[in-house]
Amino acid sequence: MNTNNNVYTVVYTTVIVVVVAAILAFVSQSLKAKQDANEKAETISQMLTSAGYGTKAELDLLNNIAKLDKYSEEIEEAFIINLDGEKVSDLDGITVYGPKDLKRQNYNIKGGANKTGEPEIPVFIFKNGRTVVPIYGAGLWGPIWGYISFNSDLTIGGAYFDHESETAGLGAKIKDDPSFQAEFVGEKADFSEINVFDIVKGGAPKDADGKSVIDNKIDAITGATMTSQGLDAAIDTWLAAYAKYFIGSKPACDKPCCGGHEEGEEPCEGNCEHHNEVEE
Amino acid sequence: MDAKLKETILNPIFKGNPITVLVLGICSSLAVTVTLKGALVMALSVIVVCGISSLILSLLRKTIPGRVRIIVQLVVVAMMVILVDQILKSFEATYAIDKQLSVYIGLIITNCIVMGRIEAFALGNKPWPSFLDGIANGAGYGLILIIVAFFRELLGSGTLFGFDILNRFGYVPNNLVILPPFALILLGCIVWVQRSIQKGLQEK
Repeated sequence: MNTNNNVYTVVYTTVIVVVVAAILAFVSQSLKAKQDANEKAETISQMLTSAGYGTKAELDLLNNIAKLDKYSEEIEEAFIINLDGEKVSDLDGITVYGPKDLKRQNYNIKGGANKTGEPEIPVFIFKNGRTVVPIYGAGLWGPIWGYISFNSDLTIGGAYFDHESETAGLGAKIKDDPSFQAEFVGEKADFSEINVFDIVKGGAPKDADGKSVIDNKIDAITGATMTSQGLDAAIDTWLAAYAKYFIGSKPACDKPCCGGHEEGEEPCEGNCEHHNEVEE
Repeated sequence: MDAKLKETILNPIFKGNPITVLVLGICSSLAVTVTLKGALVMALSVIVVCGISSLILSLLRKTIPGRVRIIVQLVVVAMMVILVDQILKSFEATYAIDKQLSVYIGLIITNCIVMGRIEAFALGNKPWPSFLDGIANGAGYGLILIIVAFFRELLGSGTLFGFDILNRFGYVPNNLVILPPFALILLGCIVWVQRSIQKGLQEK
């Protein structure tokens, strides 16, 4: 048989491609449910880590079903808010926001050509009083995302970050290095500023004992400047989107100047300043 | 088993090792050897992809039009790679490792060993020897991967398969070992050892 004539070649390649496409489509469809379940369980274990229900390694010892059970046991309330901090709808059962959902909302927050609608960002409140919110952004090689939990006094209770393809041993430390994630604990996010949170190159302010002072700054990762900057930008973008929710949820400031201060007066600190700016 | 078949299996493991002698598949051997677990899964994936692609293409070898044979090889290998990736993603046990290996599973297709063995062996041999050749080359690749990963995880993280080994004795992990250049240095050492055993490989 002459395998080199044109008709044979065209027919042959067409058949091969169609057969391969059919096999792949079939496999992809039949495995999709399992893959989604794995992804969801992973997202849940990341959120539970951030909310302080054990380390990631401990949670990874649980199987998927146990992770889901633990989540439904510990979740108090989960709902979606808009950028004004108003609740739009409840999240039912065990709906969580994995990286794919976050990517879509990230476009919506930042606007631009990929915007598909108004941002609808999730808030997860756990029974231990912590509120978990996601963040999403670009690292050096690919997307990075994570979950930050806040105590009721708006200090950070925990954080867990994940990435698709940051450099192992450097940028990947945002995920692999528990001591980096531990730096977030106890820090404060400053919702009244554009820079809600800072990851600082060259060292965050330290007190005399060498302990990080409580502010909104932590140390960046040595050798991973781009990933650190990406994470910083991701946190700023997303926490700013939650600013109205968090500041609104705080009791109103009782200082007299909150009603608007005269020119020349000392501006108030923290939330008051924010209130004034918004109202003016 | 006849001598020729035995040679087909044993040659790629040491004497004609795809990494140290043919110098194929260097890229991924630098990238996925940070942890032993990752290297092991990568090695198994390459063995499966290499073996089955060689088998399929050897079965098809008389029907493939010569002008598009590379494209046909590419389609078959790509299919195998995607299948392996999809399957790794589907099981709870392998999901985390697949996440860790991320793009490198998909990049098996660019691993010169796979296409190289198909082009050099499977298209000219019967299915059974081709299958064994694919498996053996994957295994030769995997062997080097595991040796490199053993040293990199031990010295770079102080652990093996995630268990503390050197860490127990107050070892401070060496960050250089984690970085790809160290894998290249290790590979160089392996090539050095092999060439001093196999004098025939030394250039005059």
